Amino acid sequence: MPSKPPIISLKSVHKYFGTYHALRNINLDVEEGQKIVVCGPSGSGKSTMIRCVNGLEQHDEGDITVNGHMMTTDEKTGNLIRQEVGMVFQSFNLFPHMKVIENLMMAQRMVRKKTKAEARDTGMKLLERVGISAQADKFPGQLSGGQQQRVAIARALCMNPKVMLFDEPTSALDPEMISEVLEVMTELAREGMTMICVTHEMGFARSVADRIVFMDEGEIVEAGEPETFFANPEHNRTRKFLDQIISH
Amino acid sequence: MQEIINWSDEFLAGAMVIIQLFFVSLLMVIVWGLLGATAKLSNSRIARGIANGFTVLCRGIPEFLLLLIVYFGSAVTLTNIARSWDPEIRFMDIPPFWAGAFAISLVIGAYATETFRGAFLGIDKGLVEAAKALGLTRFQVFWRLRLPMMWRLALPGFGNHLLSLLKDTALVSVIGVQGILFTAQQATTVNHKPFTMYLTVAFIFLALSTVIVVTMKCIEKYAYRHLEAAR
Repeated sequence: MPSKPPIISLKSVHKYFGTYHALRNINLDVEEGQKIVVCGPSGSGKSTMIRCVNGLEQHDEGDITVNGHMMTTDEKTGNLIRQEVGMVFQSFNLFPHMKVIENLMMAQRMVRKKTKAEARDTGMKLLERVGISAQADKFPGQLSGGQQQRVAIARALCMNPKVMLFDEPTSALDPEMISEVLEVMTELAREGMTMICVTHEMGFARSVADRIVFMDEGEIVEAGEPETFFANPEHNRTRKFLDQIISH
Repeated sequence: MQEIINWSDEFLAGAMVIIQLFFVSLLMVIVWGLLGATAKLSNSRIARGIANGFTVLCRGIPEFLLLLIVYFGSAVTLTNIARSWDPEIRFMDIPPFWAGAFAISLVIGAYATETFRGAFLGIDKGLVEAAKALGLTRFQVFWRLRLPMMWRLALPGFGNHLLSLLKDTALVSVIGVQGILFTAQQATTVNHKPFTMYLTVAFIFLALSTVIVVTMKCIEKYAYRHLEAAR
């Protein structure tokens, strides 16, 4: 039986910011339904890598294929890919002048061409799923950080994406709000969503990830299943990083 | 007082003229401001060059002078063109109302260009990325996110431009637009009461600018209701 091609595939990807070599020869395949956690010190290229996956950054060399589409500089191709890839940001990025439910409805109406009623319906269902349907008619600024991030997750899910990218989704949150966001993410993982999460939440990584990718200085140093990754990291750099984040 | 009553019909008509002038120029100001700001922020060197030339020129020349140049310049040109068809024609112009509205809109439009540009630059990049990540096209991002965010940020500065615009409508009496200042000048030649007549004009302007200030306050209240709610 021929196996399905990976839903995300990065092949020899390089990215430069001016003369700075931000991504060095990145190779990564993600199968449908897999959960990948990406970790590494700041400036290691984690965010840049996942931002290349949906074309928020353009890579300079190599091939990125998402859901059968090869990423090009062409805006149409980029849009086609972005419509199937949800993204959650560190700073939530909810549209402040729109109510919560309007935040969820906008892309459904503009991109999926749904009617107002359909979009509202889907929006309310997803707000319920992340546990904040009571806040639908508030503005984002009236919500706590954890609530805002859950709205952001719901907003991405409204588009019925095939893949979800998380770019340090809990890093801007107060400690007591981290778990409510991680719970939503764990639930999503359990339902079979394909996910790439940049995060330092190692507990989440251990329980959810199929594979942990460790990056440093723009390259993937090592990647492996959580057990072996945490118990027997191959590389010194990985060991050092794990020591630093776990000892505190 | 009697003199004001005697001329009240003319003052009313004059007020209507400057109100129309205000709204017609306002529309043009918004167009110039948006075009100018998007051009200045575009990647095209030509567009940026044209927009820079526009703001340097229209902010650098006294508006009174620009008004004369636009009106008489267009009149001279039109007359020359018309004469090449029919040598009998002695004078031809763009209606003073439209020439006036156009000239004023250029000046205020140049200021609005800078206000809008600043507002566009003030938009949180993360929001634009979020909209993009949801699959919106560049045009949709502009229409549904950048523009609604921009005008909110531009509002306080734009309120100032509206007041300048209103006051500039006084200038057009010089090319024969029959606004309230024109009325006052006419009345003065008859009744020799310049102080009363000009004071009347001042009060009308004050009343109209008060309407603008109050309206802007209401619009700001609506525009920033999400911030008010978040307090």
